[in-house]
Amino acid sequence: MTAALIEARALGKSFGPTPVLRDVNLSVEAGRGAAVIGANGAGKSTLIRLLAGLSAPSLGGALLFGEPARSLRPALRRRIGLLSHQSFVYPNLTARENLEFYATLYGVADARAQAAEWLERVALGAVADARVRAYSRGMEQRLAIARAMLARPDVLMLDEPFAALDADGAALAAALVREAMSQGCAVLASAHSAGALEELGFAALTLSRGRLVHAEPSATRQSVARAPLARQVS
Amino acid sequence: MVTTPFVAVLRKDLLLEVRGGQSTVALGALSLLVLVVLVFAFNPGGGEQGAEAAAGALWVALVFSGMLGATRAISAENENGCIRALLMSPLDRAALYAAKLAAAFIFMAVAEAASIILMVLFFNLEFDARVMRLVPAVLLGALGFAALATLLAGISSRLRGGDLILPLLAVPMFVPALIAGVKASASALGGAPMGEFALWLKVLIAFDVMFVAAGYLLFEYVAGEE
Repeated sequence: MTAALIEARALGKSFGPTPVLRDVNLSVEAGRGAAVIGANGAGKSTLIRLLAGLSAPSLGGALLFGEPARSLRPALRRRIGLLSHQSFVYPNLTARENLEFYATLYGVADARAQAAEWLERVALGAVADARVRAYSRGMEQRLAIARAMLARPDVLMLDEPFAALDADGAALAAALVREAMSQGCAVLASAHSAGALEELGFAALTLSRGRLVHAEPSATRQSVARAPLARQVS
Repeated sequence: MVTTPFVAVLRKDLLLEVRGGQSTVALGALSLLVLVVLVFAFNPGGGEQGAEAAAGALWVALVFSGMLGATRAISAENENGCIRALLMSPLDRAALYAAKLAAAFIFMAVAEAASIILMVLFFNLEFDARVMRLVPAVLLGALGFAALATLLAGISSRLRGGDLILPLLAVPMFVPALIAGVKASASALGGAPMGEFALWLKVLIAFDVMFVAAGYLLFEYVAGEE
């Protein structure tokens, strides 16, 4: 049995007396994808923040690579890519400077060349030396996707990856996610609707008021492992 | 050339400052304002009293400008959530603290250099050896304040009203260094014996060692919690 790279065990989170997530169980293995679908306020972003180790759970466990997400060693943190609602890029730096900076932090070999390659891959090569402050929301999202995938992570968490993207941008992002999964990356993504993610072969999990209320047969703890995604994308 | 993460963060902070110029300009402007107000308030004469007034004014400027600099430095990281990306990255948190401290120290040192020049002009002092003796005291004060403020900014940046909490925490904790700094500066400007000046410098060094070490060891915990 393959070990899960992303795992939530009876995960719960409360802000003061208000529970935001309750008893969430899920797991995603290498080369597989799971989509957390829900309306605004359902708890999708909170779930991703918990699993990324950015927030402490109130109950249960958030695990990455089998270890608590909050206390990962730097060597494991290097293997995680996170796309958040916030782009994590510096507006007063250029796109190239942003990617070179993060490539250095992640110990990417030949940071300059890798940054240039990713700028081309997300179709920002022509505006690579413009400051991000001058970018449109969609361009900033494409840069944020490149930032998240720059170090070729083994775990990718994407909070509404297609938000603000036009059709070309969404197709580009989908192709990059598909490629990452084909190389063994475990992907957890959130969205308001399953559409584009289901097309990628993601197992759909529906989150409502902090609870997983529905899971496709392939998205339960046991069956995510059996999802035929890796075969579909290879 | 191999760039270490420490160098990358420091270079990024300096680049952002050169592009935006917010911290250094704000620090310099605030120092100017404080010195102008205090020179009119004290109306200093010459001699020992004038030296003490000038030293006091200089350190008030240092504290206020340092506070502003620390707040600005951390707010730049909060834009677009970049601080979260830094905390999620493999970057060692101690290296992150060291880089932020180095950047804050450089900004403060530049602002303090301007403050010393303004102080000499406003308080009718001479650019002589006594003013040069101020340099180690002011640099040690800037390092201590930057160490303390960087550590506390890691806490206050995640809190509502953090801009208010930072001075409430930082100023009382900086008081020992503030007293030592004012005394060392007054000794330097008043031409006191080297022994008296050195005594206060030792207090500043002890403060710096304590807070640089505390920040280096504790930043992982204060910046990581949410």
